[in-house]
Amino acid sequence: MSIILKTMNVEKYYGNKGNLTRALAGVSFDVREGEYVGVMGASGSGKTTLLNCISTIDTVSAGHIIIGGEDITEMGHKSLAGFRREKLGFIFQDFNLLDTLTVYENIALALTIRKRPAREIDRRVKEVADILDISDTLRKYPYQISGGQKQRVAGARALITDPTLILADEPTGALDSKSAKALLESFRRLVREKNATILMVTHDAFAAGHCDRILFIRDGKLFHQLTRGNDSGKLFFDKIIEVISLLGGDTNDVR
Amino acid sequence: MMSVKLAFRNVRKCMRDYTIYFLTLTLGVCIFYAFNSIDSQQAVMEMSSGQSSALRMLARIIGTFSVFVSFILAFLILYANGFLIKRRKKEFGLYMIMGMGKWMTSRILMWEALLVGALSLIMGLALGIFMSQGMAVVTAKLLGAGLGSFRFIFSSQALIKTLGCFGLAFALSLIFNIAVVQKQKLIDLLYAAKKNEYFKAPRPAISVLIFTAALCCLGLAYKIVLSDGFIMLLNTIYIPVALGAVGTFLFFFSLSGFFLRLLQQSRGLYLKNLNMFVLRQINGKINTAYVSMTLVCLMLFISICTLSSGMGLAEALTTEMRENAPFDATFSVRTEYEAASDTYSGIDTAAAVSGRGAGLSAFAAEYVAARYYVADATITLYFDGSETIVPPNFMKLSDYNAVLALQGLEPIALGPDEYALNCNMNTREWQDMLRDYASSGAEFEIAGRRLVTDPSKLFTRTLEVSPNKEFAVAAVVPDELLAGAPVKKDFLHINYPEEGGEYESMCVSALIGFEPVGPDGVQLDGGLETRVRVLEYTHSATTTIAYIAIYLGVVSLLLAATVLAIGQLSEAGDNAERYGLLRRIGAEDSMINAALFTQILVCFGAPALLALVHAAVGIRVASGVVSAFAEMNIFGSSFIAALVIVAIYGAYFLATYFGSKSIVSISARGGFRNE
Repeated sequence: MSIILKTMNVEKYYGNKGNLTRALAGVSFDVREGEYVGVMGASGSGKTTLLNCISTIDTVSAGHIIIGGEDITEMGHKSLAGFRREKLGFIFQDFNLLDTLTVYENIALALTIRKRPAREIDRRVKEVADILDISDTLRKYPYQISGGQKQRVAGARALITDPTLILADEPTGALDSKSAKALLESFRRLVREKNATILMVTHDAFAAGHCDRILFIRDGKLFHQLTRGNDSGKLFFDKIIEVISLLGGDTNDVR
Repeated sequence: MMSVKLAFRNVRKCMRDYTIYFLTLTLGVCIFYAFNSIDSQQAVMEMSSGQSSALRMLARIIGTFSVFVSFILAFLILYANGFLIKRRKKEFGLYMIMGMGKWMTSRILMWEALLVGALSLIMGLALGIFMSQGMAVVTAKLLGAGLGSFRFIFSSQALIKTLGCFGLAFALSLIFNIAVVQKQKLIDLLYAAKKNEYFKAPRPAISVLIFTAALCCLGLAYKIVLSDGFIMLLNTIYIPVALGAVGTFLFFFSLSGFFLRLLQQSRGLYLKNLNMFVLRQINGKINTAYVSMTLVCLMLFISICTLSSGMGLAEALTTEMRENAPFDATFSVRTEYEAASDTYSGIDTAAAVSGRGAGLSAFAAEYVAARYYVADATITLYFDGSETIVPPNFMKLSDYNAVLALQGLEPIALGPDEYALNCNMNTREWQDMLRDYASSGAEFEIAGRRLVTDPSKLFTRTLEVSPNKEFAVAAVVPDELLAGAPVKKDFLHINYPEEGGEYESMCVSALIGFEPVGPDGVQLDGGLETRVRVLEYTHSATTTIAYIAIYLGVVSLLLAATVLAIGQLSEAGDNAERYGLLRRIGAEDSMINAALFTQILVCFGAPALLALVHAAVGIRVASGVVSAFAEMNIFGSSFIAALVIVAIYGAYFLATYFGSKSIVSISARGGFRNE
């Protein structure tokens, strides 16, 4: 399996001369194709900064990020926008669906802005909706469906463009545990059936428990890694809790 | 009185936030009052009957427009109020969570409405009263009327009209606000800011139905106005106006749904670029957009109509009135006593005038005396299908030819059994009517002889100097038939040796107020009109009309553009979020800008287009009204009006587009939240 994402000594500084904040202090890791990777860390650990850098929304201060063989830290403003459009899919904590559009249109929008032909759009939307189990909601508006369904719609929108890498920021953050479970299971199915590659930032040990591998970030550095391997769900979850208590602070996030 | 105190503080807070709202309201009240009080400005002017009739005409026109204006201002209040209340839902929720009852909240709202209403009314009226003082001076100047001693002008009629109109509008908005509070659940009020407004836009299929109904309403209104013309304008104008307003409202209510339906039929177009986003964007905001679009459309309609027909009318009057004075002066004499009219045999005007002032020869290079006689014959015209019997002024052929000769025109010839008709109106409607009459071989009997006419005996000469062109038909018959007939009016048409104030003042001082004595010692009624004076009236009247038209037109245009701009601005927050989202999911800047441009273009363009259609019909009717006394060339003035409108409206459009664009591009930055 090829390496989809490679970060090499990524550093990120904020602020000015007098007051410099180091958000990332040299982070290096690889993500392979078809892998489902979680990123965990306490508030302020730098995980969102990392995600912003990988998603090309923010620029790194030092180091390199290579996605699908292309070094995004070397790209210009214009080609970055194109890269973002063609190679990346985004899922946000607060869904970010357009309230004026139906579910169908929200998903289709990702393709229309990429100027795909209408016939292809219709077929793909139905296909993706089927995988994420939201076929019944296609004609509804976002306000008519549950939070879990909304997040799956966001997932469908991220997936439909066949991105090299799907980036998810706290996708279960606004969901109840039942919806969160359904969402995480549909992510698993994406990875299994569509060979999608997902990088998911989360607070939630339960959500992280669905991943293949978990990266723990602390003070802007990679602190620890956990790989599921052949562990049972229960064992993997216990290991996660263990690391979290080592990280300190965030155990009350465990549900 | 806690509710009063709260209300007072709320209003003060609103004053800061909604300066534009208050300003618009105040200006609305001010202009409404000032224009409706134009009648009472007469009090400070010294004017002739012609000038006062011009002012009355002005007041009547303004009165008609005030009907539209009051509708529009009421709309504006409800519309702006909707924005205010939407932003404040959370505040009401807070009151309620603190244990305030719904009625208590409503009471605060009532006090607020009273305060806001009173404040803008007082400010507006104060400004309006102030403005009407200044307007009186300008009006007097434009009319060429003298200003009398200064008196404070106050029109209680205009005050009552203003209070009534705005009071009703404020009451309506109060009822609306209370309904919002009474109807809403606490949870909805508290989370109103977070929750987007989910208006149930009518289903597309229903939209198609409503759209059809809207087109029917508009079509019917157009048909009524176009077929009935200006006759019905005077009495039943309210029917097509109401139909048009309802039709416009329904049109914008269903427009986006209709096009959504239409475009959804074509997947290729619907699923292209951001088309569906733009359509949904417009459709989603329909609950606020349709009211504002209706309002803007009606305002633009008024703006286009007033600007183009006002200027056209002024132009038409100027050219027509120049033809109204074929001589330098006309002195006319008639008997005042109706009873004596059967036997009145006229006087020798030239002889009577000779004794006045420096004498006739002092200022008249040439003159012609002519007479209108009374005879027992009438002509029957058909006007819009109804029969009108017109008693013509009878003239001797020799008198008529002499009048023509004084104008430097060729004389006409008549057979012994023929008569000619002369009409002073050369507009098509009147000419057609007379031609119909003449071609039907109409004949009448006079002094025992049957006379006939035909279309070749129709003339459109002006036979006297007169400031007001009133429809008059002269029947020209062979001289001998009128021998001994009773005289209706004597004329003395005068040309000065050369144009100049010297002869004019000599003529005026000799003949103004001159009441000759008749053959039986009866006091007669004399009247003088001179070319100089006619042109003076004309000039002032037309200037006033143009001035009012431009003023009213530009004000409503500004109002329309402001409403659109406010609407777009208040949505800027929501839109910025949506456009930012589009960028995050990968839409290119050029695509986003195109979508934004399209959205704003539709918001500005749709009302403008419908307004143009409305205006095309409106101007047709208006020119119909004008054509009753002058032929109007609408194209020149329409062009100027179009320039003004495109300049102002276009500037607002561009300003709104660039403003929204900068808001959208600022918010587009930032990726995942860093919480």
